[in-house]
Amino acid sequence: MGTQNIPSSVVQFALADKLINIGRANSFWPLTFGIACCAIEMMATGCARFDMSRFGAEVFRPSARQSDVLIVAGTITKKMMPGIKTLYDQMPEPKWVIALGNCAISGGPFAFDGQYSIVLGAHEFLPVDVYIPGCPPRPEALLQGIIELEHLVSDWKRWKNPEAA
Amino acid sequence: MEHQFTAFLYHEQVLWIAAFTLGGLTFALGPIAIVYLFMPLKTRQINNKALQFIECGMDPIGDSWIRYGVVFYLYALIFLAFDVDVLFLFPVAVAYNDALFASSLRDFVEIVLFIGILSLAIVYAWIKGVFKWERKTFLRR
Repeated sequence: MGTQNIPSSVVQFALADKLINIGRANSFWPLTFGIACCAIEMMATGCARFDMSRFGAEVFRPSARQSDVLIVAGTITKKMMPGIKTLYDQMPEPKWVIALGNCAISGGPFAFDGQYSIVLGAHEFLPVDVYIPGCPPRPEALLQGIIELEHLVSDWKRWKNPEAA
Repeated sequence: MEHQFTAFLYHEQVLWIAAFTLGGLTFALGPIAIVYLFMPLKTRQINNKALQFIECGMDPIGDSWIRYGVVFYLYALIFLAFDVDVLFLFPVAVAYNDALFASSLRDFVEIVLFIGILSLAIVYAWIKGVFKWERKTFLRR
């Protein structure tokens, strides 16, 4: 389910990796891919009021081959699951997955006995890196999720931890 | 003594040209080579569809190498005939009410001749049966 070890690059160069990772963390290119209502919040996050581009993540790419973050924004139906798998396959390495909203985390309100059409969470078939709860999450929550992903990708911190100081 | 036209002039410049060519090649191909060295060689797979051409996630239905009716090319040609008619009639329509042309029978005859000749293409197609939508079949024997 997308967790296999892949051969790394020909040349290993730690300092360059560090630098490149800072670049990656500051310029996520999410896939333009909204499955359900959480996508509306994703759009709002991309627009002027919440302004995702402050964090460098506003370049929503319409092609999976150009993007590195898959934001699973909404309810995953069993019909849609193969499509999401294919899109994940087509994304080039390195790639990360954000599960946005309760449906993408656990099925949300659709997790009840006898339901037959909904996949209960993106983790069932994707290696999810960041979970963002909410139904739907506020745009601020998505921004927080992206910052958390930045911390996952790189040691570089956007803000210093005020408690540690 | 004058140099012959075929003589190998400016020997010393060849080195510069070679150096600039090499430099240009390095700058053109260098980034590609560097990226190849640093890039991850594969990408994680769930159902091994990284090489699927269509990027919407859905499996494509059928092949893009399909046969379709050749009837359409005739329509494209006939469109040209009508198109040229309309194209040349616009300036005529704009200018025809002008006092310069209004009273002249000769201009009218010229337009009729012009459209008549252009219409021959349409008449020809009509006689050939282009306007009847039929599937042109071709039997390979």
